[in-house]
Amino acid sequence: MLVGGVFSAPTLFAMEAKNAGIVAEAGTFVLTDGQRKIVAAVAEHIIPKTTTAGAIEAGVPAFIEMMLNDCYKKPEHVSFKKGLDNLAKAKFLDQSHDAQVAMLTLLEADTKELMRSYSASKVKVGDNVDKDILEGAGGVPFWRVMKELTLLGYYTSEKGIEGSFEYHPVPGKFEVISNMKPDQKSFAY
Amino acid sequence: MNLNIDAIKSQTFDAIVIGSGISGGWAAKELTEKGLKVAVMERGREIKHIEGYETAMKNPWEFDHRGRPTNMAAEEYWAGMRTGYTPNEEHRYLFENDKQNPYIEKKGGFDWIRAYHTGGKSLLWGRQTYRWNREDFLANEKEGIGTPWPIGYDDLAPWYSYVEKFAGISGQAEGLDVLPDSDFLPAMQMTAPEVHFKNAVDKKLGRPVTVGRVAHLTKPGKQHTDLGRSSCNFRNKCMRGCPYGAYFSSLSATLPAAQRTGRLTMVHNAIVAEIIYDEKSQKAKGVRVIDQNTLESKEYFAKIIFVNAGAIGSTSILMNSKSSRYPTGLGNDSDQLGRNIMDHHLGVGASATVEGFEKDYMFGSRPNGLYIPRFRNWGKDKRSYTRGFGYQGGASREGWGRGVGQDGFGAQFKESLTHPGQWTVGFGGFGEILPDPNNRFTLSDQKDKWGLPVLSFEANFGENELKMRQDMMNDAAEMLEAAGFKNINAYNGQNTHIGLGIHEMGTARMGTSVKNSIVNKHNQVHEVKNVFMTDGAAMASASCVNPSLTYMAMTARAADFAVNELKKGNLK
Repeated sequence: MLVGGVFSAPTLFAMEAKNAGIVAEAGTFVLTDGQRKIVAAVAEHIIPKTTTAGAIEAGVPAFIEMMLNDCYKKPEHVSFKKGLDNLAKAKFLDQSHDAQVAMLTLLEADTKELMRSYSASKVKVGDNVDKDILEGAGGVPFWRVMKELTLLGYYTSEKGIEGSFEYHPVPGKFEVISNMKPDQKSFAY
Repeated sequence: MNLNIDAIKSQTFDAIVIGSGISGGWAAKELTEKGLKVAVMERGREIKHIEGYETAMKNPWEFDHRGRPTNMAAEEYWAGMRTGYTPNEEHRYLFENDKQNPYIEKKGGFDWIRAYHTGGKSLLWGRQTYRWNREDFLANEKEGIGTPWPIGYDDLAPWYSYVEKFAGISGQAEGLDVLPDSDFLPAMQMTAPEVHFKNAVDKKLGRPVTVGRVAHLTKPGKQHTDLGRSSCNFRNKCMRGCPYGAYFSSLSATLPAAQRTGRLTMVHNAIVAEIIYDEKSQKAKGVRVIDQNTLESKEYFAKIIFVNAGAIGSTSILMNSKSSRYPTGLGNDSDQLGRNIMDHHLGVGASATVEGFEKDYMFGSRPNGLYIPRFRNWGKDKRSYTRGFGYQGGASREGWGRGVGQDGFGAQFKESLTHPGQWTVGFGGFGEILPDPNNRFTLSDQKDKWGLPVLSFEANFGENELKMRQDMMNDAAEMLEAAGFKNINAYNGQNTHIGLGIHEMGTARMGTSVKNSIVNKHNQVHEVKNVFMTDGAAMASASCVNPSLTYMAMTARAADFAVNELKKGNLK
C-alpha cells in the first residue's frame, strides 16, 4: 500500500486528459525572488520550526519550485503563480504573523470550495499497489499544490523523517502491535 | 555464410532458452540440472544480483522527486504511466522506455509493460502466488469457450509442489477447493482490523478470507540459503530489487542454481529475431539474434529451444519465424498465433475507513495483503456471466499523506501528522478474462530500431468482463459493509485496458490439436517438436489468480519431458 491521502497527480492527470485528445504543455517554471519569499513563508506556516526543523530548514521551498518545473505542467504553473500574485497583491509578507495565518485560513476555505469540482478516488491497479487519482478541470489550485508539496517535501526529507518518525529502513520483521502507546510516532521505512 | 567451425561450435548448445524472466529462469535451472549445456538469450542488459539493484538501499530523500515521475519520464514511459506505479523514480530503471520501444494500439488500447534485463519481470512481479484449481482447467471445455485444456490439475500438482519448495511461498493452508494450498513457509500476520474483517465476512457471508500467498522467504530452508537467499526484512521496497534475495526471482534463485551446474551460458543484449526452421528435419535448428547495441546478427544452434520471452515477446518471435512450411509464423497452422490475448481485469473494488482499533498498529511494512478467493459461479452460486474474480487488499493506518486532504496547518498540524492516523481498508478485484480470438496482436509494417516489426494490438473487454465488474465493485462494498466499516467508496474504473494487470497470456495457446492451438499438452509446438513455450503465451484460459506459479510449474514439467524425449532420441 502506498502512503495514504489523496494527491493530485498532474502527470497522471495529464495522461487521463490525453485520452480525450488534450495534452497539457510542460513548459518551464521559474519563480522571481519575491515569489520565492512568499513560497518560503507559506511553507513555513504549514510546517513551522518547533522543537524539530521547519519547512525552510528541510529545504522545502527549493523542492517546491523544482517539483513544479519537473513534474507539473502549464495548468498548475498558471494556477500556482496566480495564487502567488494574489498573496503579493494582498501584501502577505508585510502582514503580522497572525494576519498571515488568517489569510491562509481563508485561502484554505476558498480552495476547499474550488476543489469541489475535483473528484478523488483510490483505485487498486496491481498487486499491493493503489493509485490515487484527482481529476478536475484546469490547474489544481495554488493552496492545494502548495500544501501537498510542502508535506511531501518535508516528511520525506532527512530532517523531516528523522525529526518526525521512528525511521527503520530495515525493520527486519513484521509484527502486529495491540497496545500502542498514545504518543507513538509513526514508523517510517 | 559463416564456415568457421570453431565459431559454430562455440555457438552450439544442447538447449537455448529465450528470455531470463520467471519462466526462462526455471527452464535454465531445470535443463542445466538435468545435464544439458544451456545458453540463455536475454534481449536486455545484464543486471547482477544485489550489486545491480542501484536504488535498493536509498533513503526516501535520495530520490530527487521523492519517487514521482517527471514530465519527461511521463512522456517516455507513456504506457507505464497508465499503471500509476511503474515509472516511479524508485524502480523506473528496471522498466522499459515506451517511446524507444514503440507499439501500436488500435481500438481498445493495450498496456504493454516491459522489462528487458537479466531476470525480466521476475524482479518486478507482485509475488502473489496461487495454484489454479481443478475447475480452472475444466471450464473451457464445459462451457465451450476457447479451446479445451489438454491437461488438468493432477498433471500440474506435483510440479506445483516441486517449484513451491524451491521458490519459497509464504501462506496459510486453508483446505479450500477453490484455492488449493501450496507447500507453505509460515504465513505473514494479519492486522487487527483485517482479522475482524475476515471473521465478519466468514460469519455473515460465508466467504473465506486468507492472508496473501507470496513468494517471500519467511523461514528459509537449506535449498534457499545455499543460494545466498535470506529472510524477508519487511521493507516493502521489493520492486527496487531485493538485496536479501528474500523474494523469488530469476536473479535470486533459478539463475544462480543454473550457474552452479557449470553448464549455463548467459548471452545478454541478444534480441532473438527468429527461430531458424529446418524444413528437412521439421525441427528448429537454432535462433538468429541481433545484438541490441551493435546490431550485429549472429546464429546460435541447439537441439531444443525453450521460448520464454513473455507471452507477447515469445509469440512475436514465432510470428517472425517465417518459412515456406510456416508462412505466417512457426507452428501457426491453427491461425491462433497472436490471438486470445488475456490478462486479469482490475481497477474495480471498494475502500472504506475503519472506526476504532486505535491501539492497534504494526511494525514493519508487509509486502503483502489479504486474499479473498473466488466465490462467484462457485458451488451453487450462478451469475449472468461466467467465471469469477478474487480480491487483494488489506487494512493499514494512514500516514502523513492524510494531511493533504485535511484542514489546517501550523505547529499542531505538523505534530499530529507524526502519529499514525485512522485505519483505512480497501479491496480490488482481479477478474478472469475470457479468450477471444479477436483480441490479438499482429506484426505491423513499421520497423523498430533493430529492424524488427513493431507490434500492433487490438484488444477489448467483452460483455462477460463488463458484467463481472459490476459484481466486483458491489461485492467489495458489501463485504466492507458486513465488517461495519464506514465511508465506503465503491469504484469501477472505466479507463482501463487489457494489459494493465501485466499478466499477458494466451497468444500461443495450449490445446488438444494442431487445428485449435499452437502447443500440445507438453508445451511443445505441435509439429515442431523441439520448440517449447512455457510462459503466459501457452495459457488456454486465464483463471482469476495470479499466473506466475503456473508458468513455473509448467516450465519444470515441460523441461522434464523435453530432456526425457531428448534421451529417447525423439527430438533428433
